[in-house]
Parts: sequence; structure tokens; C-alpha cells
Amino acid sequence: MASHTSSETFADQVRASPGGEKITRCFSCGTCTAACPIQWIEENYNPRRIIKMVMLGMKEQVLSSPVIWLCSACDICYRRCPQDVRISDVMKAIRDVAIREGYKPVRAVAQVNERACSSCGMCVQACPYQAIELTPRWVTIQQVMRQQRALPKVDEFLCQGCGVCTVTCPVSAITVADIGDDRVVAQIREFAQETGW
Amino acid sequence: MVDAARHPKVDVRTYTEVERVDGFVGNFKVQLREKSRYVYADRCNGCGECAKVCPIEVPNYFEMSLAPRKAAYVPMSQSVPLIYNIDMDACIHCYKCVEACGKLDAIDFSMEDELVWEDVGAIVVATGFSHFDPSVIPEYGYGRYPNVVTAIEMERLNNSAGPTAGNLVRPSDGANPRRLAIVNCVGSRDKRFNPWCSNFCCMYAIKNAVLLKQTHPDMDITIYYIDIRTPLKGYEAFYDRAREMDIHFIQGRPSLIAEDPETKNLYVHSENMALGHAIEREYDMVMLNQAAVPQPDVDTVSSVLNITQSPGGWYMEYHPKLRPMDSPTDGVFLAGACQGAKDIPSSVAQGSAAASRAGRVLHAPEWEIEPVVASVWEDRCISAQGRKCGVCARACPYGAIQYEEGKAPQIVVAKCHGCGGCVAECPQNAITQLHFTDAQILAQIRALLADRPEEKVLAFRCHWCSYGGADMAGTSHFEYTANERGLRVMCSARMDTDFVYEAFRLGAGTVLYSGCHPQDCHYITGQRVGSTRADRLLRAFDRMGMTPGRFRIEWISAAEGDKYARVINEMQQLLDSIPRDQLLEEIEQLRPQMEKRARRMREAPQVEEALEFADRLKAAMMGEEV
Repeated sequence: MASHTSSETFADQVRASPGGEKITRCFSCGTCTAACPIQWIEENYNPRRIIKMVMLGMKEQVLSSPVIWLCSACDICYRRCPQDVRISDVMKAIRDVAIREGYKPVRAVAQVNERACSSCGMCVQACPYQAIELTPRWVTIQQVMRQQRALPKVDEFLCQGCGVCTVTCPVSAITVADIGDDRVVAQIREFAQETGW
Repeated sequence: MVDAARHPKVDVRTYTEVERVDGFVGNFKVQLREKSRYVYADRCNGCGECAKVCPIEVPNYFEMSLAPRKAAYVPMSQSVPLIYNIDMDACIHCYKCVEACGKLDAIDFSMEDELVWEDVGAIVVATGFSHFDPSVIPEYGYGRYPNVVTAIEMERLNNSAGPTAGNLVRPSDGANPRRLAIVNCVGSRDKRFNPWCSNFCCMYAIKNAVLLKQTHPDMDITIYYIDIRTPLKGYEAFYDRAREMDIHFIQGRPSLIAEDPETKNLYVHSENMALGHAIEREYDMVMLNQAAVPQPDVDTVSSVLNITQSPGGWYMEYHPKLRPMDSPTDGVFLAGACQGAKDIPSSVAQGSAAASRAGRVLHAPEWEIEPVVASVWEDRCISAQGRKCGVCARACPYGAIQYEEGKAPQIVVAKCHGCGGCVAECPQNAITQLHFTDAQILAQIRALLADRPEEKVLAFRCHWCSYGGADMAGTSHFEYTANERGLRVMCSARMDTDFVYEAFRLGAGTVLYSGCHPQDCHYITGQRVGSTRADRLLRAFDRMGMTPGRFRIEWISAAEGDKYARVINEMQQLLDSIPRDQLLEEIEQLRPQMEKRARRMREAPQVEEALEFADRLKAAMMGEEV
């Protein structure tokens, strides 16, 4: 009867997720890839190629790829895209599909050192993504005492790994892997040595 | 151009604007404003002495402001006719030119614009196109970086008659560039500016690259493109030749052009799609191949000539495939890029076609038109009875109805295209359309709804689009319900409210009101007349309490067969979802209101006879005694 009676493709799935609607507009001009500051650091992250792979139905390759979690939504590409495709929204739609299909985000999330935490709740207020909440939990203190305390719990899907909580925490009890305080300090030392400060 | 100017039967009027066009095909009256040059055309011999002595210099528009010109000037050296012109905005009235002109006495500072009327039989519009200004794209830096130039500036810089006598230099330091980037699709194929492909720029980029490579074999020339489009004869071979000449092609639209503030060299960031990652390359000069856009005064010209515009502002052709050189107004023809961006061969072809079309008008003693024109019953017109009206004249997209208060309207038959908008709008049913009279259409409605009308989907289709859409559904074998009954009129403007009321009075299950998409309408603004009326109907039915969806409005083009089938099937599904008793009850309940509203049309001339004929036909079809 109707002319469109095919099963749902990967592209349909992405299009049906909020943000993915305009994906078919892409005519592969490569402006986004050339504009992307992440592409200059990580060559495997190529937004044009990811969209093409979605259109071609390469579901397994796209969803299992770590690069779909890299877009930082700076939207430099969106301002230059001639077809008005918002790549950050498309990436969000692809991630939504990935999570629905049971894939885990490949990115550093904030981790809490429960024993150091003073339950002040400043990280909860600082988080721009509302990814942290205080929940009561039992913790063992000094190997003998068990105590129930309100401790921050990080939602691994909401956390974008920005590190705002790390700098806010007065007792350094919450850190994002790869960018902990000691590593940043080491980088500053290295830079100072190189430039001869 | 020189040939045309010398031809005894060709009268070239330059520096002249069309102010007004009256009349109709074969009998146009055109008002021209011959702008004052302050130089007598019959006395000036083009010697140029006035320009030599003129002390004022202003930017030269023809040279893209890369060179100066005097206040006494010709636009370019090959101007036809070669008559000098005084730019009064720049002139300081030193009268040195008058002195230099001497005995010729061609310069007169008291000259004024002249308005003249001319009788013409046909009009060809060939107003061309304009260029997109790339300075609105911030990432390409045009206007900020001196070495980023447009295609037209490059054209002048590389022209032996140009400001540099053909020596290609870059604007920042006058050095000869050794590395040149050409960026395609600047402002075209871009939803932010102009969504269309500008048609000729791929070939234009290759042409410029080949020309430069011939004179500068060592120059490194790179063309950045999204797609290279070489569709016509010989174009692909030219592209092959460019690659053989070692011109580089990079697939990838640049995202940024950055300047080195010291050397003024440019860095172009793009993706190289063949490599699959972003690249950055350094150039001495960048040429932006900007989009072709309609002339800035298209709105004025289209209202003077009464021709419509396609999306974006290009002039609308009568039919995109079969009549690309005809405008919707008879006797007005289109040639070249004013109808849509096109290259020289296509413009020449369309120009020749338009000229022969115009010649046909000029040679015909009589002009045939479609017979579906409107005609007035003066005895029914309320304006003839002294009341204010004029609804018909306001509905006419062609200005074919001359209306004077206190008189019945006069229809200029040569201008009427037979959309039927005035016929349906007339509150008194005092206008009819030949071959689509109220009586004929009412009889058709009665015949189509003769048997079990509550099961039917009655579709009003316009001739050009929805009827074609239904046809497309048929030829493409998109199945739709057999309960559909189609009725053709020329335009959705002809679909009278009374027809819809009559259909529901007869007990129609659902009614579809369909026509062209607004930008596709073959009768300029006919669809707008129809859609306003349809919206009014929809609100009326809402107030009456009709089940939503029984009256449906859809705009379906001739290519949308799938949409036509889908809409009809959805309407059938709606009918299936309403219990039959409830539907019949609703029809009975609304019948008196429908009866009241459709009454006036049934009083129109010939309706009784036509309906009687329809009843007899119906009886014959049902096998009853006649």
C-alpha cells in the first residue's frame, strides 16, 4: 500500500532521537571536520565520517567507537555548516542511541574518594550538568568505625568530565581521571622547565 | 552588441528604465525613463576629450573599484553606444569638459530625464544576475584580508584590458602570487545564504585556473570544492585537461581562512576528504567563487511586468520543462540568468528561444488563448445595481478585471488565464468560467456522489499539481482507496465554498481541498486565494461541529504521487473509524446548514438544467427507468 514500508534503519534511529532530525541534510562537505578543534588533536574523530557511517547503517562500528564521546559541543562547526546541521546535537542523538543499546560512555567521569570526603555538598552545587547528588551510605572509617554519611554519587551518563567539581572541592576528595591535581601540577612543572621559568 | 546597435530594425536604448507596462499581449504600452546623460547622444562622437580634462576621480564600478574613473566617463571601453556620461553625484561643475568638447557642443548641464511611451507587441526580460557579497561570511575574511578577492575582482586582475593590464598582482603588496587557492560554493549551496547551486561556478573556477596556469606555469593552483559539477558536453573533458595541467583539486569546503599579519599570506583550513583528516595549507592569494544571486531590484521589475518569482527571487517560468522561456504573463518572455543561474550556452539558447517566441507574437494577426476565460452576467452583478463590491478585481492575479464602481466589471479576455478565482470569490455568482461553469461542476458533484455518498472521499484537484499528483499515484501504482472520487478544476482558486457545502449537503463522507504548493502555483497568486478560502471553510466546519478531518486541505505537487495516495488513504481510515450510524446522524444534523449556505449557487443560470441532466444520467447508470 504505502511506499515506505521498510524496517527502521540506524539512520532512522538517530533521526528519531532528539537532535538527530537534520542528519540527512549533510552533503559531506567536510567543513565541520576542518573546523573541529578536537580533530586537530585526535585524528580519528571526524564528524563528517561519523555522519556518513550513520547514513550507511554502520551501527556496530559507530556505537562501539570511543570517538563519538569526544564532541565537546563548542559548536564552532555549527556556525559554519552550510546545511544548518548542528553536529553537537547529532552526536548527542548518536550517544542516546548508544546508551539505549547498552553501550557505556567512553570518557573520564568524576570519582569520589569516600574516606576523604567531608560531605560539604559544594560539588553538588558546582556541577553544571547536575550529575552529582548526595546519598546516604555506610562507610568504614579508620578500618574499625562504620558510619552512615551523605556522600556524593556521580551519574556516569550525565557527567561530562569537565573537572569543575575537582577544583571546587576543599579537600580534594573528587577527581576526574587523567586530570587529577598531581597530573596538572606535573604538567605545569614540565612547562616551566621547558620555557626556563 | 555592435551588430545589434547597427541593425536597422533594432533600437537599442541604454541608460533607460521601464517605469510602467500597460495593456496585454500584442498591445503593450511601455513607459520608459530615458535617464539624463548630460551629453547629447546624437552629437557625442566618443572622442573622450571630456574625460581627459575632468579633474574628478571616483572608484570604477566596472573594474570592481580596483581602478579609478573620471566623473565624465563611459562604463567600459567597449560600451555600445559609445556615448560619454557625466556623473552628477561626483561632478564639481568646473565645466572643463564643456570647454574641451568645443565645437561639438554635446554637453548640456540642464538636461533632464525624459518619460516616453512606446507601443510594443512582446517583452523579453533579460536582466541577468548579481553577485553574492562574501563579506558576510566572517570565517573567509573577505574585506578584512586584502589578499582574499572575489571571482569578479580576479577576472579584472587577470584581464589584459583590466587595471593591471593583465599582470596578476596581489592587493596587499603588488607582488605576483605563486600559490593561489580557489574556493567554490561561497554563499551558494548554503542554507544560511543561498540554498541553490549557482550552476556555472565549477566550470568558472576551472576556466580561471586553466587561464592562469597557461600564463603562469609555475603557479600552484588549488581548487577547493564540495562536488565538481561538469554536466554538459565537453565540460568533463575540460576538467580532465585541468588535472593534466597539474591543477590541484581538494574535496573539502574550507572552514577558515586565516591571515599571517606580517606576510599577509593566507592559511586555508579544510578537510582533505581523500586523506580523511583536516589539513592547513598556505597561499599567497585566495579567490572566492561567490554565488550567483538575483538582481537587487527584482521586486520592482516583477511588479512592473506582473511576473512572479521562484523562491530566492529568480523570475518564475510558465513551466520548468516545457515552457522555460515563457513568463506566466502572455507576451512577456524570460531569457538568461534572470530566470535562474545559468552559464553562457544555456543563456544563449534561452535567449534565442525567447526571441522566436516574441517573434511569433509580432507576426500573428490574431492571438489564440485558452478558452477557459471568465465571463460576467451583468444582471446578477450587485455593482451594476449601484452597490460597492470589486471582490472579483481583487482576486484576479493578472489584473485582467477592470472594475469601476456602479458598473459591472469588464474582463480583458486577452489577459485572463482562466484560474477561476473571480468566479469563486463573487458573492453573487455573477461571474462564470467557460467550460468550468457552476452548473457543470455542481452536476459533476451530484453524479460523483450519486451512490452511497457517505462512503466517498470527494477530492477537488487543481489541474496543474494535485491532478498531476493523482495521475502520478496511478502511473506509479501507489494504491489508494477505490472510494475516492476526483473532480478537476483549473486552480484551487476556483474551488468555491458552495461546491464544498453542496458536497456535504449531498452527504459526502469526506472532502479533500487540494492544489499546488504556494510557490508552484501556475496562476501567480491563485493558490493564495484558494488557501485563504479553504482556511475560512475549515473554521466554519469547526464551528458547526463537524468531525475534524472530514474536510481536509492538502497542497500536493504533480511529483508527489505518494503523498496523494497517503492523504486519500488517511481520509479513508478516518471514515472507517467513525461508526456508520454516527456519521449518518452527523450528515443529517448538518444538512440544513449546508442547504442554507449552498442555496445561492443553485440559483445561478443553467444550474437547474444541468442538475436535471445529472439526475437522468445517474438513473441511467443505476439501471432505472428514465
